[in-house]
Amino acid sequence: SQPSTNTVEEPLDLIRLSLDERIYVKMRNDRELRGRLHAYDQHLNMILGDVEETVTTVEIDEETYEELYKSTKRNIPMLFVRGDGVVLVAPPLRVG
Amino acid sequence: MSMRKQTPSDFLKQIIGRPVVVKLNSGVDYRGVLACLDGYMNIAIEQTEEYVNGQLKNKYGDAFLRGNNVLYISTQKRKV
Repeated sequence: SQPSTNTVEEPLDLIRLSLDERIYVKMRNDRELRGRLHAYDQHLNMILGDVEETVTTVEIDEETYEELYKSTKRNIPMLFVRGDGVVLVAPPLRVG
Repeated sequence: MSMRKQTPSDFLKQIIGRPVVVKLNSGVDYRGVLACLDGYMNIAIEQTEEYVNGQLKNKYGDAFLRGNNVLYISTQKRKV
């Protein structure tokens, strides 16, 4: 059914409420983005501004089998995100 | 809620507002209250908890899950 203000919202309508807000995006391949949502579409393609990307890797010590988690961050002023890599979208964690 | 003959879309309409478990293809679990979903299985959950290997890893006030990653959506009985 077509979305209107009277009917039950669909998940994408709720993403619309995050426009111009900072959001958190979990991507495939252990990547996370934090940035300001400027635009999105039904594929979850997004334009994010002022982005911090975190890439997390796990190294396993061959002898001790210890897991060593590393994360690498970089900053990107403006980013086009292809929707098929998106797993989860959330407003940044708020306190309280 | 007894299961009579119903289509998957009937089930999806029925469970809105209930506590659910959403498992992704990657094995990550999300538990929370189902706010809404669509025909692509895109999901909006409230009060979400993220479990990896059975361990609570993260909490989100609201979370949107892209439908292609969803393995299943299940209701859960709220434990008091």
